[in-house]
Amino acid sequence: MPGGGRCPDCGSTELVEDSHYAQSQLVCSDCGCVVTEGVLTTTYSDEGNLREVTYSRSTGENEQVSRSQQRGLRRVRDLCRVLKLPPTFEDTAVAYYQQAYRHSGIRAARLQKKEVLVGCCVLITCRQHNWPVTMGTLCTLLYADLDAFSGTYMQIVKLLGLDVPSLCLADLVKTYCSSFKLFQPSPSVPAKYVEDKEKMLSRTQQLVELADETWLVTGRHPLPVITAATFLAWQSLRPSDRLTCSLARFCKLANVDLPYPASSRLQELLAVLLRMAEQLAWLQVLKLNKRSVVKHIGDLLQHRRTLVRKAFRDGTAETEPQEKELQEQGQGQGQGKEEVGGSSLDLPEGKRPASPALLLPPCMLKPPKRTCPMPPVPMVTGDENISDSEIEQYLRTPQEVRDFQKAQAASRAAMSIPHPP
Amino acid sequence: MEEETYLELYLDQRAAQDDLIRPRSPLPSSIVPFDVFMPNSSTPETAFSSLLEEVEEASGDFSSVDLSFLSDELTQENKDPAVARSKREIEESCKTPRQPLPSEQDAGPDLNSRLSNSHSHLHPGDADSVQPSLEKSTFLPLASITPMTPMTSVSECSGTVPQLQNVVSTANLACKLDLKKIALQARNAEYNPKRFAAVIMRIREPRTTALIFSSGKIVCTGARSEEQSRLAARKFARVIQKLGFPARFLDFKIQNLVGSCDVRFPIRLEGLVLTHQQFCSYEPELFPGLIYRMVNPRVVLLIFVSGKVVLTDNKTELDRKLQNSNGGTDGPIKLLTED
Repeated sequence: MPGGGRCPDCGSTELVEDSHYAQSQLVCSDCGCVVTEGVLTTTYSDEGNLREVTYSRSTGENEQVSRSQQRGLRRVRDLCRVLKLPPTFEDTAVAYYQQAYRHSGIRAARLQKKEVLVGCCVLITCRQHNWPVTMGTLCTLLYADLDAFSGTYMQIVKLLGLDVPSLCLADLVKTYCSSFKLFQPSPSVPAKYVEDKEKMLSRTQQLVELADETWLVTGRHPLPVITAATFLAWQSLRPSDRLTCSLARFCKLANVDLPYPASSRLQELLAVLLRMAEQLAWLQVLKLNKRSVVKHIGDLLQHRRTLVRKAFRDGTAETEPQEKELQEQGQGQGQGKEEVGGSSLDLPEGKRPASPALLLPPCMLKPPKRTCPMPPVPMVTGDENISDSEIEQYLRTPQEVRDFQKAQAASRAAMSIPHPP
Repeated sequence: MEEETYLELYLDQRAAQDDLIRPRSPLPSSIVPFDVFMPNSSTPETAFSSLLEEVEEASGDFSSVDLSFLSDELTQENKDPAVARSKREIEESCKTPRQPLPSEQDAGPDLNSRLSNSHSHLHPGDADSVQPSLEKSTFLPLASITPMTPMTSVSECSGTVPQLQNVVSTANLACKLDLKKIALQARNAEYNPKRFAAVIMRIREPRTTALIFSSGKIVCTGARSEEQSRLAARKFARVIQKLGFPARFLDFKIQNLVGSCDVRFPIRLEGLVLTHQQFCSYEPELFPGLIYRMVNPRVVLLIFVSGKVVLTDNKTELDRKLQNSNGGTDGPIKLLTED
């Protein structure tokens, strides 16, 4: 308790600032004795009961600022504290809010928009410092709609003329993966599902990089890709025990929301891995499918650069010595490999790898939509004569008008019947 | 003005070598392309279309072109050399009308020969002369003065022409309208005052929709060309006339032209946003496409990863023709192929 005052009657330190009508009083909460009356002190003992006044109340800095702006600034500070951002971010975000508030369009906006503006300022600050915060997180914290958020965000970026860098994927992976509750055994997480954080993080990073290279990230929301990558990384670190666990169950275990597109991202990522596996001689024989390829993700990631180049049409075909070198490298790796070195040397000659697929974003790989052939645009000058008959077809005959009015009246009568008089 | 000093510099250099009897003003103005660029908003179309299509024999005037006076700005930027060079040729041609030339008409074919010379010569000469590296911001101004007809001699022309998909226009009928009466007496109208304060009317030929407001203003959308839009707006005005209102047809204006095209290769949107940060807005969390606000011509492009590009927010005929000549659209896309 600031001030360190004691009640003269009972000696307790529980003094509460309360007011009796217009007079502010200091009252002991135990015995009810009024310690001081009013702000001006009369005796020396009273002086001991003085309270400190906060800086913002003693200076006039809040006099010029309107109450709604003060509220907004307080919300900005609270949001920064909730997100546990470094203290410098708070000042930057507050500065942005003040800057935005200078524009009349923002001052006159509805409260909902001002609330969302708080989130936008915090988001811009985080982006500029490469702190990974997604819009989804902010919308959840603000109880706001993503549409409202996006509209205000685009408007404020344009208004303030800001240069906002893109979301940094690597940092987002780190933050998001760390939020998965799989690193300690708990009643809901059996021991075989617990995983080492560093291993999982590094493998997830590699998978996300692979997804980025193979066009699975461009144009899409980043979070579902990371969810799918985390799931695959977790599965591949102990496939024997974890292959039975589905993506939905995994997210429930880890206490993380499953974003809807994550399952299709997972399928796309598995398809890419399968293509890469076709390039590895010792995996070709195994005839992998989407479930068994998970066991070999470790190897595939080890050689991902070469494999992507080989598996997809963009690069030139790799020569045989390269393949052999790959196999020798691969010999020493652990985890579920059955091929022997000797026979693998024969494979490059005997079995051609599958012809390289096109490295394209999934939207380009789907069969093109059959566009209905547009009728050829007739050459019009714009000043042609408009025939009366053509216009007449758009007008109702008087009989039609009467019928329509009758029908309207009838429907209105029908609607008003259920209403009690 | 900087341009004048370069002009004089070049004149002095060429004076000795120039053995052709020609008026001097057209010659240097056509050859001095590499100055500080001055945005040129209007150029006479006809003169240049003829100039650029003719090809005359090279006279080797440019063998000793001294490019040392190139401003630093132009030398330090990165760009595809061939495209930059071709765009500069175009810039030369457009610079000519800015100087008052007494004998421009006579100099027409001469200008042309100069241009084609410089064009043909400088293409092979790229490597050894200045490395023309143009940053996007300066490339855009050059692209804006591409001539109206497509430059067939430009090797970088990709051949994809944006197709017009939609034209939005407005007109003023100059009389107050009773929307309830219109909704009652017209077959093709819908009016829901609680939802929107205008009548939505549709006609079949051309297939368009109009928003008709009680103030007498109408917005006409859905046409596939400007002329069609005008015809449609006139038809709407005629319908209103026939309903008994003293409607006229004033202030017809095209507000927006929307076109789309396909470059047929995937585009790394993250790379594009890194290289052209000041023009791009890419938020994958909100929208899968990248919004590119081009400065010259002033259009907005929605670029998608599949290579489809939607061009919108262009108001004038000039902008649209520039779209057609591919000067504006292909520039950024060409850069992407190098990523």
